[in-house]
Amino acid sequence: MAVEQKVIMGNHALSYGAKLSKVQVISAYPITPQTQVVELLSEMVGSGELDARFVNVESEHSALAVCIGASMAGARTFTATSAQGLALMHELLHWATGDRLPIVMGVINRAMAAPWSIWTDQNDSLSQRDTGWMQIYCESNQEVLDSVILAYKVSEKVMLPTMIILEAFVLSHTSEPVKIPDQKLVDKFLPPYENPYALTPDNPVAVGAVASPDFYMEFRYKIQEAMEQAVELIEEEGRKFEELFGRYYGLVDPFYTEDAEIVFVCAGAYSSTVKYAIKKLRERGKSVGVLRIRTFRPFPYEAVRKHLLGKKVVVLDRNISFGAGGIFFQEVKSALYGKKRTSCLGYILGLGGRDITPEDIEGIYEDVLKRRKVYEIIWWRVKK
Amino acid sequence: MGRGEKIKFKKLQDYPDIPVSTATTRYNKTGSWRNLRPIIKDKAAPCSKACPTNTLIPQYFNAFIDEDITNAGRILTLHNPFPSITGRVCPAFCQTGCNRRKLDERISIREIERVVGDAYLPYKAEQKPEKEIDKRIAVVGAGPAGLTCAFYLRKMGYKVKVFEKEERAGGVLRYGIPEYRLPKEILDKEIEVLDNMGIEFEYGKTLGKDITVESLKEKFDAVFIGIGAHVEKRMRIEGEEYFLSGARFLKEVALGKKEPPGKKIAVVGGGNVAMDVVRTLLRLGAEPLILYRRTENEMPALKEEIEKAKEDGIEFKFLTVPVKAKQKDGKIVVTNIKMKLGEPDKSGRRRPVPVEGSEYDEIYDAVITAIGEESDRSCVPEGILGEDGWVYADKKTGATRIEGVFAGGDFVQGPSTVVEAFGWGRKSAEAIDRYLRGEDIGKVKPPERTVSFMLVQMEYFEEKNALKPRELTPKQRIKSLDIEENPGFTKEEALEESLRCFSCGVCNSCGICYSYCPDAAILWKNNKPEVDYDYCKGCGLCAKECPRGIIAMEQEV
Repeated sequence: MAVEQKVIMGNHALSYGAKLSKVQVISAYPITPQTQVVELLSEMVGSGELDARFVNVESEHSALAVCIGASMAGARTFTATSAQGLALMHELLHWATGDRLPIVMGVINRAMAAPWSIWTDQNDSLSQRDTGWMQIYCESNQEVLDSVILAYKVSEKVMLPTMIILEAFVLSHTSEPVKIPDQKLVDKFLPPYENPYALTPDNPVAVGAVASPDFYMEFRYKIQEAMEQAVELIEEEGRKFEELFGRYYGLVDPFYTEDAEIVFVCAGAYSSTVKYAIKKLRERGKSVGVLRIRTFRPFPYEAVRKHLLGKKVVVLDRNISFGAGGIFFQEVKSALYGKKRTSCLGYILGLGGRDITPEDIEGIYEDVLKRRKVYEIIWWRVKK
Repeated sequence: MGRGEKIKFKKLQDYPDIPVSTATTRYNKTGSWRNLRPIIKDKAAPCSKACPTNTLIPQYFNAFIDEDITNAGRILTLHNPFPSITGRVCPAFCQTGCNRRKLDERISIREIERVVGDAYLPYKAEQKPEKEIDKRIAVVGAGPAGLTCAFYLRKMGYKVKVFEKEERAGGVLRYGIPEYRLPKEILDKEIEVLDNMGIEFEYGKTLGKDITVESLKEKFDAVFIGIGAHVEKRMRIEGEEYFLSGARFLKEVALGKKEPPGKKIAVVGGGNVAMDVVRTLLRLGAEPLILYRRTENEMPALKEEIEKAKEDGIEFKFLTVPVKAKQKDGKIVVTNIKMKLGEPDKSGRRRPVPVEGSEYDEIYDAVITAIGEESDRSCVPEGILGEDGWVYADKKTGATRIEGVFAGGDFVQGPSTVVEAFGWGRKSAEAIDRYLRGEDIGKVKPPERTVSFMLVQMEYFEEKNALKPRELTPKQRIKSLDIEENPGFTKEEALEESLRCFSCGVCNSCGICYSYCPDAAILWKNNKPEVDYDYCKGCGLCAKECPRGIIAMEQEV
């Protein structure tokens, strides 16, 4: 059977992913660069192509509140946002996790203000690191679409929400050929959502009410337990997905890591640029590789160690935790803690949408060779 | 598990997956937090209020939308016994009250009423007395007021006898309104229903001649007089005896005379009868024209009727009135005078003043006058008349100053509309019932509060203009008297149009309150909402969101 293929932008890949997942309630508030995601979904709902309720709201806070309510009533829900919008949702991000609701949200990475920027970096999504949402960073539009379907599968099993993350403009507004999975196969992979705790007026219960110090911690423990369970499930469901659709997505995406002395660590679409530059370096006989981290939460400690142990690790962070350094850099370092024979350098680059080019990667490679310290934070291409 | 039973989570396995109470929250009667209480109660729609019969318009629409014709017909005939008639000839006061006017256009209520009324006709035999009451009531006059009064009294179970001076029932419906506006077939069917209900009719009985109020009072427990207004006003000019009477002309046509009294005919007057006469003449092949002493603005006829007459191609001579007439060679020579408008008179219309020296002669084959009618007050006892010499009856009950005698319709208020006579008839029937049961006649149920446009939530309605019936062109309709000029709606059109109705003040089970209640404290019972006062916190969202203003918040006491 011929697979349908469309040339679509990353935003619409999210819409198609949600549509194929047969979401039942969508609520969102528009923000550049996310708007097209829900624009297309509202058209799909309007035309009857997608049997869902589209709820217009006055803010992102309300958008997620709607999703929380609908999810609690047993509906599969979807939303999408960016930057300030995601920040406004912050309180409710915790609620979604605490109530264990498998909401899936598209997050288009946009740099946080001030100063205003509509261009990409990862600080918006990484600022929500500790809210208990799973975070999937995508490299291509195909991965964006597929990840939405995968996310519902895993989320609904572990009862935790997921963010599907893609960069503003680099993916959101860039068109690529994308295979549109067959609905029947998707239905086979992703059964309808059943919330065992679905609220009904017939049997009212209190959700998220007060838990005294005697009881609170166990609920938190269970969330961590679910996150740990998700680590395995992501790979397991990834393989099932591969059987049906021929594409695999797991926790990390290694590229020439096995025999490499220097391994670049990155996440998101700029990984493609890194891979391209690394391939060129390989052609010149350099011993380099790339480890793209796809799943940031839960953090894949085992997989990271497996691919990075004994290497000279260079983390390319398109984000910054002020007063500490690159966020992926910190995570990778902590994964490698106590393991000898490993060094780690952290580069901050591409903030606020500044381009990351193959020349940058080659430059960083040259720069790495000159460094002698084991751990260091280096700002790349900052005017000084 | 109820309140007070401690739940101990000893092991992690005891915990639910999500932070959820293991017992229902029903023990917590949150209704005690409330200081405002929502009251779900139907109110009056402005259309119902504007209608002289107060027909429950949204209620019967809702039954019609459910495609329950018998129920729709039953609700409709609670206030108006003959919807097939008003569905054709009513000026539709309801439509002027319609809240929808303020969004786009009023609902075409009359056209829907006609469809429902006609569709209900085959089922109307079900209208039977609820019981039998051993009391007898005389109704004088089988016109709109009398028939309505008889219908409702008989339905209540009273024995009703109708006295009518003509040979058949209907009054102005039969002898006044022309066939092209109201086919006799419809009228006959409606009257058949009354026959089947067991109402007795005695024809050829004229009040004041064959029967008197006093004699009826002796034999009956109550009397209703609805004999209409049939005494024609006079022009008081020289040669008036050569003029024909408009009302009599219409009656003759109704009785089968299809010959016009000539070709070129002047019709004098500007009221509804004048319009009926002139348009009937046209359909009989004559070339009639209107002579009216004021201008179109002052014409008392319904705007719709004037428009239709103009469309038919009838010539209007305004500010013109005959001052004398004589017969010559079988024709009538009329001296007309031109008028001009002066100061406003009592009615607020500008008084016509003759223009001196503007007289001119015109020759007509015939002249028909239709300058107004009054009730005949000579056939009733003086006690019925007020100080001003006119008939007096209470507007809400029809009670006259003679105990046990009620009156209504044109006989009391002068020439008016069919629907107003229906209103008089029903209100009088209810008052007669109270009278015969020894209750206070004037104890009329106070009307419900009316739902204003402000209480209708526009968020729930999209603009859509009214459907209107595809009328015949003037050319098509003037061919014959028997062509009903308004073909009305099809059932589908009526359904489509009734869906535009806001259903102001009348719950149509839309379910908005049920969906919006944040506490699931609106229960759904027998397809209607009900407040669960045990849990309603009185937030008022239901009242705010109700699209049709049914829910009101009241202070808790």
